[in-house]
Amino acid sequence: MRIRRFTLAQRLFHLLLMLCFMLQAATGLARMYVETGWGRSLARVFGGYESALSVHKAGGVALLVLFGLHLAYLVFGVGWRRLAGPDSLLPRPSDLGDFFRHLGWMLGLRPEPRFERWGYWEKFDYWAVFWGMVIIGGTGLVLYDPVASSRSMPGWGLNVAFWVHRIEALLAIGHVFVIHFFIAHLRRRSFPMDRAMFEGSVDLAHARQEKGAWIERLAAEGRLDEMSGQEARAGARAAYYAFGLSMVALGLYLLVGLLANAGRITW
Amino acid sequence: MKSALAILGLILAALAVPARAPAEEVTAEYYRYRGYEMSSGYYEEYEVKPQYNRPFVLERHERRGVLAYGPAAALVGSASRQADSHGSLRFYAGIACAVCHVQQASNNLHVVRVGLACRQCHGGEPIPGNEHYYAPLNRLRRHAYVCSKCHQGAGYSFAAYLVHEPDPSLAATAQSFPVLSWAFWIMVGIAVLTFALFLPHTLLWGLREFFPSRGKEDEP
Repeated sequence: MRIRRFTLAQRLFHLLLMLCFMLQAATGLARMYVETGWGRSLARVFGGYESALSVHKAGGVALLVLFGLHLAYLVFGVGWRRLAGPDSLLPRPSDLGDFFRHLGWMLGLRPEPRFERWGYWEKFDYWAVFWGMVIIGGTGLVLYDPVASSRSMPGWGLNVAFWVHRIEALLAIGHVFVIHFFIAHLRRRSFPMDRAMFEGSVDLAHARQEKGAWIERLAAEGRLDEMSGQEARAGARAAYYAFGLSMVALGLYLLVGLLANAGRITW
Repeated sequence: MKSALAILGLILAALAVPARAPAEEVTAEYYRYRGYEMSSGYYEEYEVKPQYNRPFVLERHERRGVLAYGPAAALVGSASRQADSHGSLRFYAGIACAVCHVQQASNNLHVVRVGLACRQCHGGEPIPGNEHYYAPLNRLRRHAYVCSKCHQGAGYSFAAYLVHEPDPSLAATAQSFPVLSWAFWIMVGIAVLTFALFLPHTLLWGLREFFPSRGKEDEP
């Protein structure tokens, strides 16, 4: 039996966010590492150094549009009333307690905590995108047309915007390609890939182990059958694995290239 | 009547407030100063009316304040003010720019990424100092003479971008360009804190799942 975890709209948002993020990471690193052979080969995929910037700008605009659509979805699709419920992604004080209880379990000091629908790490990942969009999106808009921007701000602000954009982008790349990938796909319980974000549903036994409090609440409310979902067909599952794992592989390729060539570029 | 006079007074007072104007180069009213400026390197501030100055970026060879143009501010013979800034160098013809200007050749994305040559911005021989009155890179006109060759429409403010950007991690940058230094260290701090929290967390989590105890608490 499977339990529905993500709606079609949420999966679509994640898919588009993933594609845009990958594009931005690849084109951004192609620009940043163009002094190295690895960076030049990456830039060639997008038509060279200048073309990579054009693609990067288009991808940035797409990301900002997607972010705007998501805000509209939050306001009109989710509604403010549901923000207070247990299915909400809003951080709560109990998340801090969950973090320390989880840490205690990792250290073998206490039993595994029983999480609600969203764990504290998932809430962090979700809100980190908002933070990132404000920082990277804001500085990206400034850098989109530096000549036009400098009419409203001093030119040295471009130096500052560039560094903020760059460090925040590296933080996002590191967090997604190391921490998010590992937790969502590479740790033992999820290996080789958590299909939930593609398929929309999660195996009940897995959910009971990972999100015990959520399943208990659904059972107590008599909503387990209502929330049940069908497993995707074999062909669709294969496609999910192929696509998801290729994204993981691309991310790890970019991460390894970034780290291996970090000493060869002018920062 | 009194209120009408008060309004009229306010309007007249408002007329006396200078309006914000975009950057514009204006002709020096007294031409006799031009020769003085060319020889001394002191340029009257009224010759350019920038909309935005650089209050958070320290300019070398420049003093602002009550006695900005006092004799003590003079850097007589400074190469940055000479028509031929390399005129006094021996064996200049055989030396590449980067031999002496090591830092300027490396902390410069225009060079290391785009592959621009120094002369594409600084001009051909004799290369005038950036502060020389007729130098293309003089702050009065570098946006029009140099920047806009590639960045069409570049204005005075755009030219305030630091092409030879100081290393933001250095302590000296906190003095010369404090905004950049602060922004850099705040962002690095956020990144370090995030990774310092989540990397060990992720590692511990992975290890805990990889070596599950046989205890009852791990049973689903």
